[in-house]
Amino acid sequence: MGMVEREEEEEEMVTPGEVLGKATELKAGRGAYVAPHNKTVYASLTGRRSLIPPPSDSSDQRPTVEVTGHKAHGAVPVPGSTVIVRVTRVMAKMASADIICVGTKAVKEKFSGIIRQQDVRATEIDKVDMHASFRPGDIVRALVLSLGDARAYYLSTAQNELGVVSAESAAGATMVPISWTEMQCPLSGQIEQRKVAKVGGQ
Amino acid sequence: MSGKGGSAPHPTTYSPSPQNQKRPKSLIFKDNVDWVRPDGRGFQHCRPAFLRTGAVNAASGSAYAEFGNTKVIVSVFGPRESKKAQMYSDIGRLNCNVSYTTFATPVRGQGADHKEFSSVLHKALEGAIILESFPKTTVDVFALVLESGGSDLPVVISCASLALADAGIRMYDLVTSVSVSCLGKNLVIDPIFEEENCQDGSLIIACMPSRNEVTQLTITGEWSTPKIHEAMQLCLDACAKLGMVMRSCLKETASSQE
Repeated sequence: MGMVEREEEEEEMVTPGEVLGKATELKAGRGAYVAPHNKTVYASLTGRRSLIPPPSDSSDQRPTVEVTGHKAHGAVPVPGSTVIVRVTRVMAKMASADIICVGTKAVKEKFSGIIRQQDVRATEIDKVDMHASFRPGDIVRALVLSLGDARAYYLSTAQNELGVVSAESAAGATMVPISWTEMQCPLSGQIEQRKVAKVGGQ
Repeated sequence: MSGKGGSAPHPTTYSPSPQNQKRPKSLIFKDNVDWVRPDGRGFQHCRPAFLRTGAVNAASGSAYAEFGNTKVIVSVFGPRESKKAQMYSDIGRLNCNVSYTTFATPVRGQGADHKEFSSVLHKALEGAIILESFPKTTVDVFALVLESGGSDLPVVISCASLALADAGIRMYDLVTSVSVSCLGKNLVIDPIFEEENCQDGSLIIACMPSRNEVTQLTITGEWSTPKIHEAMQLCLDACAKLGMVMRSCLKETASSQE
């Protein structure tokens, strides 16, 4: 059917298994899938159906149909997503951490992740001292590298914006970052070593 | 109170009178085509369905279903981390558990022969869930039968698929399930407890109505081939209608939450 150029989205509630259109006219985005045997696009979630117009420079001029879930249900770590973790154990070659937020959503139940020595930073990766990068209890922003093994996701802090976001000093106060390797306690003045995240546009 | 010539205004001993000790006549005459079902439905009428999602706040998704006297509540947790002991898998896992409360049956604690329902529910649902969308994690489905009034497993399957849709788990389609009982020469859809007890055979279908695919078919008892065809046709038709009821329930909850 001739799709008139519309900027506004079609607002319509769909449930899993409802037909959204034919695969010749639509591409399946998030929350939708294409059934190969009859080339139809079906919804796979309950939510509002919306159409995204295709980018004007692509060869495939089909709009993408997406279904956005109505519920803010729990998120699952996906390779490539930024997560907030709390460090639980620090060992010689890696640090274990619990994933508490994926993107901007908090998870309902924690997932396990590990940061290996070679993923802490981008330069001189074999000379990293784990105890000078993280301590148990630190809140760290990391990137999910991959699904990892059966026990944990593999995480990386090898970027300027990744690393320790908030840490508590031995005296019990929240420390202030003073460089990309050091944080200082405001109560005792002690300087502790961490792999600090570059927060803000500095 | 037919007291035996007692002059007291009310009986002082509690003893049953002999004429009340006769057992009630069996309600179902299998060979008589004119009998009426105990709850007055036609042979091909299903019970009215009451469905609600979002019954359990602590769970990712939940649903409550009442089909006549059969009451089931299902909660879905997940996707959450698999147990540490399990092997890595690049698709998700589904874990189902069906349990009966002690007060679900007329005789307390009589749900002993329903232990296989958990694996039956698992097989009915796993074909409809897109497991690749949550690798390495597990989705737990816990079904609790609060009152068993007949046709329990189909109600559990339908309610579980509604809870999964409420939890936002990606599925190919909803799974609806209906059962048919064979009583002598008659086919009776959506049997109640008394009808199930004296059935000759039963057929349970779990299907995905919009895609017209069957995820599970269970046949027990004595059946002839034309009867099987007729029963399957009845069930598939009822499943399609139940699917529409479930969809409208989901849409209603979703719109009221905005």
